[in-house]
Amino acid sequence: MTPPTDDLENLVIRPRNVAFDWSELPAHWVPREPFVTHTINVLHLLLPAGERWFVQVFAQALPLIRDEKLREDVVGFLGQEAIHARSHQGVLDHWKAKGIDTDPYVRQIEWMFTKALGDRDLPLKRREEWLIERLSIIAAIEHITAMLGHWALNSPALDVAGADPTMMDLLRWHGAEEVIHRAVAFDLLTHFDQRHRRRVRGMLITAPIMAWLWIRGVVFLMRTDPELGGRVKPRWRHYLRASRRGLLPPMRRLVGQALNYYRPGFHPSSEFSTSQAAAYLATSPAALAAGV
Amino acid sequence: MPHCSMGIDQAPPDLRGRGHPDRLFRALGGLIDGYEWLTCGASLHRRPARKVIRERILTVQQTRVEAAGVRSFSLVSGSGDPLPRWQPGAHLDILLPSGRRRQYSLCGDPADRSAYRIAVRLIAHGAGGSRELHESVATGCTMSVRGPRNAFPFVPASHYLFLAGGIGITPILPMVKHAAAGGTPWQLVYTGRCRQSMPFLDELSELDPNRILLRPYDQYGYLPGTRLLAHALPGATVYCCGPPAMIASVRRDFPTSAASALHGERFTAPPIAGGEAFDVRLWRSNRVIRVPADRSVLDTLQEVLPTLPYSCRRGFCGTCRTRVIAGEVAHHDQVLTPQERAETMTICVSRSRGGPITLDL
Repeated sequence: MTPPTDDLENLVIRPRNVAFDWSELPAHWVPREPFVTHTINVLHLLLPAGERWFVQVFAQALPLIRDEKLREDVVGFLGQEAIHARSHQGVLDHWKAKGIDTDPYVRQIEWMFTKALGDRDLPLKRREEWLIERLSIIAAIEHITAMLGHWALNSPALDVAGADPTMMDLLRWHGAEEVIHRAVAFDLLTHFDQRHRRRVRGMLITAPIMAWLWIRGVVFLMRTDPELGGRVKPRWRHYLRASRRGLLPPMRRLVGQALNYYRPGFHPSSEFSTSQAAAYLATSPAALAAGV
Repeated sequence: MPHCSMGIDQAPPDLRGRGHPDRLFRALGGLIDGYEWLTCGASLHRRPARKVIRERILTVQQTRVEAAGVRSFSLVSGSGDPLPRWQPGAHLDILLPSGRRRQYSLCGDPADRSAYRIAVRLIAHGAGGSRELHESVATGCTMSVRGPRNAFPFVPASHYLFLAGGIGITPILPMVKHAAAGGTPWQLVYTGRCRQSMPFLDELSELDPNRILLRPYDQYGYLPGTRLLAHALPGATVYCCGPPAMIASVRRDFPTSAASALHGERFTAPPIAGGEAFDVRLWRSNRVIRVPADRSVLDTLQEVLPTLPYSCRRGFCGTCRTRVIAGEVAHHDQVLTPQERAETMTICVSRSRGGPITLDL
């Protein structure tokens, strides 16, 4: 899908107070597709800790912003990310109540965000640079979440495969908000540092670590899945088959979209469709129930 | 490598639950330490962020009575440069001479880059913003505006049902004209107290009369959401703007209608009703701030602490959670756990039970 040339501009970013009920969620919510289910489930492992970290880092940047429009965007972004974290946490809590323990993996992710990527005891000036460096990492992650959000909004094969509608709404509501606010982290970073190298090195470190965590997450979830009993091992061919059928994003496209981020004149508004995302939110059961 | 206690010395337990540190995560910690050391030292001569001016001074070129109690204002830039472009549904942030800040939908022609038009209904017993515009802003006056921004985005659809109540026609009008010009099927149901109070009937009369249903209350009575949505064709995209009761009714009845998408304008916090004034003591700066009965702690504190983090202003996102050192809090949020409420509060909605509150700010 090519983005429209006259996409929406200057959207106000504001959180939506969504809620999801997981009591009816099947273990394999893409029926008969444990690999696809768990590959998407890795999101629930990574995002609660990750998005809480975004909020923390962004809140520190807030006092340094010298652009009222950008400040409004960041304020809206903070709330959206907080609700995203809470919504994915709801899935983790549901699993825990059903006896599926994801703590060992989640603990590592929390360690990465709060310790390795947390605040450091540094001299003042250097502390500010560490803040901006983390904004560069967040901008890179936000580019990837916008890619995935765009894919979620354009993944009819999952509906055809009978994927759980509540989970699809979570993914698409979240994806739509990611697409709509896709430029905020980028604009915040470039407000503080316009240099190309500052931006690209955030992606250089982020993309491989995310890929590694994703693979590790799929292996972990397939191993702990009580219905699989450790008998099914994830294989690369599972991924290729699923992505060919449109159940997962094709690797070639993901790599291409990630590489776009390295282009010198790149801006997130040049790809994906705000219109499409706004249109989805007007049909999303969770967003409609949340009201204004 | 510098000494940094965080990643190198520790790592989280491994995935097998054997209790010893995960080796790969120890390596990851080392990698991130090295990354910080390499990058942040080298960035010390970064240029500081430049201030971006977003305000624009516009001049009132013309005002016009559009209906009983409704006046429109045409705003132009002094320099004659084209104004920033906008799309249907967008609004301007207007700073009135009194210092009040108000948002008004743009209701002119998006293709006309020489002027913006807003329309304002006089609310006699409101907070004073509309009265100020009606009574003391005339041709030649200037005002500072920010924007345009869009909280009511207009997206392409196969067919539209527009529902406008009274002054709620302002964001809808450019949408209707856009749909009509583009040949997309549409229908407008426009309600209001009486015909004389409904603005832009003259402009609407230039469009296809078969697509417009005028439903003033004095002739048709108040129409609930079901009646309004009954005009939706299967799969219609609904745009609704009007009084809060109308929006709530449409929202409630939408799931049982034939329409498939509902767009409503997204407002900020509702006004505070039944609040009482109280004192907030700021622990770190040792100051006492009086919170008036009709304002939130957040709004009041922003005057002295303009960079406080917040977001939803409605007590559901938790971004403005602040540690409470002393005082009894009446919690009105929808997000904190009982444990969190014991020590913290969301300052956007929660208030005091009567006495002073001491916050860790």
